[in-house]
Parts: sequence; C-alpha cells; structure tokens
Amino acid sequence: MDVKLVNPFIDAFITVLPQMGFQEPKRTNMYVKQNIVVGLGVTVIVGFTKEIRGNIAYNMTENTAKYIASTMMMGMPVDSFDEMAQSAISEISNMLTANAATNLSAMGHEVDISTPSLSMGEHCQIKLGNDSYLVVEMDIGGHAMEINIAVSHQ
Amino acid sequence: MEKVKVMVVDDSKVSCMILEDIISRTNFEICAFAANTTEAIEKYREMRPTVVTMDMNLPDHDGIECSRRIHAMDPDAKIVMISAMRDASLMAKGQEAGISAFLQKPINENELIDTLMLLCQNKVGTIVVLRESYAKPFSRAFQQGLFSLSGVHSEAELTQEEGRYLEVNGIAVILGITGKPRGRAILYMDASTMQKFSRVVLGRKSDAEVSKKEIGEAVEEAANIIVGHGVSTINDIFQDREMRVTPPGTLYGENIRIANPKLISFKISAATRLGTIYMNIGFAGGE
Repeated sequence: MDVKLVNPFIDAFITVLPQMGFQEPKRTNMYVKQNIVVGLGVTVIVGFTKEIRGNIAYNMTENTAKYIASTMMMGMPVDSFDEMAQSAISEISNMLTANAATNLSAMGHEVDISTPSLSMGEHCQIKLGNDSYLVVEMDIGGHAMEINIAVSHQ
Repeated sequence: MEKVKVMVVDDSKVSCMILEDIISRTNFEICAFAANTTEAIEKYREMRPTVVTMDMNLPDHDGIECSRRIHAMDPDAKIVMISAMRDASLMAKGQEAGISAFLQKPINENELIDTLMLLCQNKVGTIVVLRESYAKPFSRAFQQGLFSLSGVHSEAELTQEEGRYLEVNGIAVILGITGKPRGRAILYMDASTMQKFSRVVLGRKSDAEVSKKEIGEAVEEAANIIVGHGVSTINDIFQDREMRVTPPGTLYGENIRIANPKLISFKISAATRLGTIYMNIGFAGGE
C-alpha cells in the first residue's frame, strides 16, 4: 500500500460531494489495518485494473447510507434503504471512484474501474486483498464513512 | 421474441445442414437458402434477411461478386463470408464488396453466433447480445473451471437474474470487470459447499484439515481462473473490448445481500455433488 495513492481518493470526496449538495467532507482519521474489513451495514466494492490494481470499499452504516441517499435526492426523506436509495449509493460510489481514477491518471497512472457492487449485511467480513489496507475515515455532515483502500501500483 | 432472419448462400448441402443445425439453436432462424448468385439476389429481395452468410465458391459467380451485387441493392446488408481460406487479399476485396466479417471453415459454433450477434446488435437487443456473447463464455468457463479444479461434473444453467439481490450465506468472491462492457462477476456458495469444494480443490481428506484462510484462497483462485478464462474468450473474439479482471474482493458471513442496481445480470447455477455453486455475471447495459 502506497500512501501517495490515497490523496486522489480524498480529493475525489472533496470535489464530488459538494457538487451533490453535501457540506465539505472532512478527513477525521487514517490508519493501516490488516486483511479483513468488517461490514458496517452497507459496503460498496469497486475494483481497479491496469497500472493500479486492487479494490476499494466504501463502508458505512445503513443510517449514513440513508442520509447520503436523501441528500442526493434533494433532501427527500429516505425511511428505508430501498432500491432507489441503493441505486443512489452505487451511483455516488461510481462517481467518487471515477473521479479518483481521473486524479490517478493525472498523476500518470493509467487505471480502469469496474462497476460498483453494493452489499448489505452487518458484521460480514470483507477481504479486499492479501496485504494490509488503508482506512480513511471521513465525516460527511456529521455522518461517518470509511474508505478502505487496498490498491497497489503494478 | 421475434427471431432474426438469416439467409444462407452456399451450394453445398452439407454446409447448409451444419449452419442450420447451429442457427436453429439460437435466436436466429434461416429464412432462405440460396445455391447461387441469381437465387441469392432473388431471395434477398423477397425475404429481406437481417444477415447473410456467404460461401466463397458458388457455381455462377464467386461469393465476393455475389456480395457486391447484394450490397448494391441494399447498402445496409450485413454479410458474413465463410470460406476455407482467409487471407489478406481476400479480406481486402471482400470489404470493398461490402462484407462485414470473415469466418474460416470448419465453422466454430461460438464464433459464428458471436459474429451474427455482433452484426445484428440493434436488431437482437442488448440483453440477448449480453447473454449470448458475454454471459455464455462465462458459463462454459465456469463448467470447465469447476471440472479442472475439483474434478466435479456439473449441469450449468444460465438464466437472467430477476431478483433484486443475491442472498449469500457462506462466501461470495467479487471480481470486477473493466473494459467494454464494464461489469462484475460473483462466484458464491453456501458454507457447507465452500467447505467441501475447498477440501476437494486442495486435495485434503477431511473438512477439519482446511482452515478458513485456505477456504477463501481456494474459492478466490477458482473465481480468478473461471472469470479469467471467460474474459480471454471474449477478448479473443472481439479484439477491441480490452476486458480485464480486478483482483478479488471476498465477503464471508450470513444474510449478506448483494444488490444489482442498473446491471443486466445473469445467474449461472452449477449443480455438483459438492452442492450448488453459483456465479452471477452482470454488465452495465448500453455502454
């Protein structure tokens, strides 16, 4: 895990989220973890190929996911994490990752991203790769989201 | 669903029979056979097929001349040349005569269907194209992969996924697919099947000898092999897809639901003596 590869992901948050009507997100914590991510409720995995390979996972509670979906839908109340809300979370994950991929390209790394896979379930275990991975905790309008980054340069 | 009309131009009865056999099992149907150029032009005008397969050797004119005449009548005609020879000069002449694709005899069934699908994409529809040209290679790779890794035979069944979620109780290995189209494949199975499957793959005598880490690795390796083969097959046929596979992301646990928003996805179930093993392959449509 190369720490230099982290900034493109954080920059993507800071660029994309305000465009969608969120307050500027803040990075609250960052640390390295071994192997397994524990699902907080809603986890979106997106894969990378070409020069940067690996996976990243956006990990959040269902409450955070509902807050994000609601903000994306112009503040419409989201009581249950239904199909529309799931679609919104997939879409924002796709936008964030595509923006990060553009940032990585600007650094000279050719990358391509897969479609997002959204999984739901508390306490499920998620393995993103064989090595340690980096956790960046973001605060979005008082809601926490973890970005788990397990990508490396080939 | 309405079938897509194919006209076969070939003077050999055997070739016609082989083509009919392949095409009759698909969403295409043969609307006419023509044994020479005159018949081909006459029947093309009458039947207006969506696509034509063209033999090189015809009794009156050759296949290129016949194609040129059909193309003059209908500049949108889609013609696939099927010949024993496939060299650069033939292909150059053929393209100039309006031939869209060249296949070599003996006909490879998958190659023929994939080519017809690609040429008739608008007519056939995205779902059929994704199923026939993209999901089916994965279905074949799935069966072959299971057999080569674990020696188990399976009956694989490919259906369009209608449910909103995949329900996972056990393990699910997700591999992203980049290129055209983007998508992802998920190999998943329940806890008891994953235990037996990894024991067989690793060649152990009892389930107790297999650690949780090894189970994950065995299933991930199976997914890598199967999806890698599926993608290679597609890249071999369509030179411009640049499909690649991401490293695996693996979920373990009970009551996990994986949602499918916006993907057109297919479920492949393989019933084996170890239990049922599933693969879901989904693509972003319209890309």
